[in-house]
Amino acid sequence: MTAKTKIRQRADGTFEVERFTPFRRVEHLVVILTFVVLVLTGFPQKFFDYSWSAWLLKMFGGLDNARFIHRVSGLIFSFHLLAHIASIAIGTLSHKLSLSLLPTTRDFKDVFGTLRYYLEKNSTPPAYPKFDYRQKFEYIGIVLGGLVMVLTGLILLYPGIIAAILPGQFIAAAKVAHTSEAMLAFLVLAIWHVYGSHFSPEVFPMDTSIFTGYISKEELKHRHALEFARLFPDETK
Amino acid sequence: MIKTMLLLFLTIAIASVCWEAHGGTTQNAEAGACLDCHGQKGDSMRFQDGSKKEVFVNADEWAQSVHGNILTCTDCHRDISGVPHTPKKMQDARDFTLQQSNTCQRCHYAYFTRVLDSIHYEMLKSGLREAPTCVDCHGSHGIRSLKTPRLEVNNRCGSCHTDVFDTYKKSVHGKLAMAGNNDVPVCTDCHGAHAILNPNQTQFHLNSYQICAKCHADQEKMKRYGLNPNVLTTYLEDFHGASTKAYAAELRDPKKPIATCTDCHGIHDIVSFKGGIARANILKACQRCHAQVPATFTDAWLSHYQASIDKYPAVWIVKWAYRILIPLIILGLILHILLHLWRLGTRR
Repeated sequence: MTAKTKIRQRADGTFEVERFTPFRRVEHLVVILTFVVLVLTGFPQKFFDYSWSAWLLKMFGGLDNARFIHRVSGLIFSFHLLAHIASIAIGTLSHKLSLSLLPTTRDFKDVFGTLRYYLEKNSTPPAYPKFDYRQKFEYIGIVLGGLVMVLTGLILLYPGIIAAILPGQFIAAAKVAHTSEAMLAFLVLAIWHVYGSHFSPEVFPMDTSIFTGYISKEELKHRHALEFARLFPDETK
Repeated sequence: MIKTMLLLFLTIAIASVCWEAHGGTTQNAEAGACLDCHGQKGDSMRFQDGSKKEVFVNADEWAQSVHGNILTCTDCHRDISGVPHTPKKMQDARDFTLQQSNTCQRCHYAYFTRVLDSIHYEMLKSGLREAPTCVDCHGSHGIRSLKTPRLEVNNRCGSCHTDVFDTYKKSVHGKLAMAGNNDVPVCTDCHGAHAILNPNQTQFHLNSYQICAKCHADQEKMKRYGLNPNVLTTYLEDFHGASTKAYAAELRDPKKPIATCTDCHGIHDIVSFKGGIARANILKACQRCHAQVPATFTDAWLSHYQASIDKYPAVWIVKWAYRILIPLIILGLILHILLHLWRLGTRR
């Protein structure tokens, strides 16, 4: 916890706390862009039997073009993932970064604490750290899932080279993994992320912190009490 | 005795009704008039290039043909009205045949228009006068029932396409067909009869898997011969199959050709793949597109097998891992969301 957190005053006198550095905000935009393009060009290949697939492929100028776009955006996604992991490695080694998204034992306790609160066994939810377990699950999911997509994607892109190193059936297995992992990622995003960042009554219509980079002090106190206590020890009862 | 008389009377009555219905005496009377001259051998037409063609019509053959009781001579030879016939100027006998072919469309319009889409008509239009027209396949005065013996179809195509026919005769389909098996395809089963497409075109290649699927996706038929009934589904699940289907839907040619059934199995020279012949030749088939891939590459194609724990376990494990993981995760997440909403609702 060596990183210094920026706190600034808004025009109306209230305070807001930095949650994402500009680099992370740009990363999120890159992920949005590549993810959407990858889904739009990849799913019609997975669901080739449906009429909407033919329509989508036509919009991209045919299967050959869609595949080219898919591969280019896949490579951008891959390089970004590498850059992301490298930035974390370098940041951690140089003590400029805290691993605030890495799951800890507290998060597992929080899962049960939250469920107990949902089931009215506890009167209050647990005090969450900077990122709660729901957000960490999604982050870890996209990093690990992203790694699966990158590795299997590379196998499918260069099957001839891969066959010299791995058994041939791994290519067929990579195809199953690539389309299944894509389905999983899409569903988690469409259900979990859209709920957590848009439709959850706590943030509706939208949690803007990933775009503005800042969260209001009030919201931080309510949703990430532990982080609030760390930043404002004097104001915590 | 009375019974026999009654039966005889009935037979005559029914026969006369049929006779009337099919035009009765009048048509045969007219045909008879033509056959006064054309029923005898000896006369012939003379063409501009000096060649001749006999104008003899075998009366029995004509009477037994499908048109025998229905049409009369001038229904097809419409420009003939009097005797002696008005002389016509024609280059040669083929010229006469080609001109005369237009007459079939007056009744068989649907088939005629289908022929206009065919490679045969395209060749004819380009000036190749040998390209077949109606009578070249069906005959003229001796046209027989539509229920032509299937082998007869092969012989007709084979009379021009000799090389292909010879190859076909040695194939697994050809051998069985020649032995009288009706399950295997003859020429027209794959190529169609009237709207025969150019088989060298990319779109034909892309759609060809559907031709094979007509029989090879037929569970009953495949069971009868101990063949794998899942060849179509396993092909379509593979990268090649999915691509082929998408390309075929696009109606435009892909940048690179993609393997369909015939690229591994052959076309007219298809042999049985039972007994490991397929795996022995597969590397060569792969390398035709994937240059210099190692032999291990061939295992990426599961040979139309569904992955199982014994065959291709890696594929099977991945498939089932996701089949279990995806519903579990998604159901868990949905439950979590619903509980959250429920708690927020009860807090009031």
